[in-house]
Amino acid sequence: MSADDIYHDALVRLSREATGAGRLEAPGGTAVVDNPLCGDRVTVDVRLEGGKVAALAHEVRGCLLCQASAAILGRLGPGSTGEEIAAAREGLVAMLDGAPPPAGRFAELAVFEPVRSVKSRRRCAVLPFEALGEAIARAGR
Amino acid sequence: MKPELLSQLLADVEQKRSVVLCTDLASGAARLVHPYAPEAGVDPALVAACREAADADRSQKWDGPGGTVFLRVFHPPVRLVVVGAVHIAQSLGRMAQLAGYDVLVVDPRRAFATEQRFLGIPLSTEWPDEALKRIGVDRRTAVVTMTHDPKIDDPALVAALRSDAFYVGALGSKKTQEARRERLRRQGFPEAELARICGPVGLPIGAVSPGEMAISILSQLVEKLRKPAGSKPA
Repeated sequence: MSADDIYHDALVRLSREATGAGRLEAPGGTAVVDNPLCGDRVTVDVRLEGGKVAALAHEVRGCLLCQASAAILGRLGPGSTGEEIAAAREGLVAMLDGAPPPAGRFAELAVFEPVRSVKSRRRCAVLPFEALGEAIARAGR
Repeated sequence: MKPELLSQLLADVEQKRSVVLCTDLASGAARLVHPYAPEAGVDPALVAACREAADADRSQKWDGPGGTVFLRVFHPPVRLVVVGAVHIAQSLGRMAQLAGYDVLVVDPRRAFATEQRFLGIPLSTEWPDEALKRIGVDRRTAVVTMTHDPKIDDPALVAALRSDAFYVGALGSKKTQEARRERLRRQGFPEAELARICGPVGLPIGAVSPGEMAISILSQLVEKLRKPAGSKPA
């Protein structure tokens, strides 16, 4: 499968939805994570309440995979705990490495299954999760 | 030259403002005129003459109503923004600096944009549209893209086309150029604007190595600067 094939409809749709795109006015934590090899850059603002994500926003400069992943987080992130986000991230990484897609709330991450075969693009899908994880850690301090 | 005049001139040079020192050849009286932001109350004919000399980047005499005035043009250095911290950029950056231009290499891919690879050359890991917005692209700025990644090159070209940049170049084969033109067309750029992009970039001298390609690009840049289409050579 070539790099072009991974851009299927579901990913294009997600990136267009861009759920959560923007900045928060008074974030509890902010993180900027980039991929030094491709230049993708994700900025995530998060506000926690009772240990769960109350609000999150993301600014993505990057490829379609990165945008689609951020849109999923924009929709499924609110209401999650830091542990749930970390588990979703691990599930995504494992899936990209060949494991079955994660079960439960983040089952939608199966849209990234085609990316398994293009190793150089795997991190693009994970980047928003890295940024959210770091933002949550900073908000918790 | 009076000390106050010299101070003002030095301030303009330091703050990168174009300025023309106008000296009456008979009396020696001198004044400064900012051709792109003229002061109120200056003879419009003098401003126009200064503007013409500045646009041509050529100091020259002007026969004004009060006599002959020598217009000495002071411009900030020409700026070259290279988008893509790639091999050609390593040569092009250094050569452009040797030619007296201010250089900025922009590439959000931190693995490429390292100080070790670009010793002595200003670097930025911003996305190109962010960098171009921050520095402000004007008529004395050239922009050349060479990341080979449309994700990064396209925003740079869009920003450059929306500006007065005197030279907009894009590395890439004829096939790549056509695909790019099509993408920019769909973003609403008319043909006349797309024609501003020099692509494949560089004079057709058969350049093979990154160094040779840098020479061909720099030569084309100088040509665009000194012999803009439809005007006399500067």
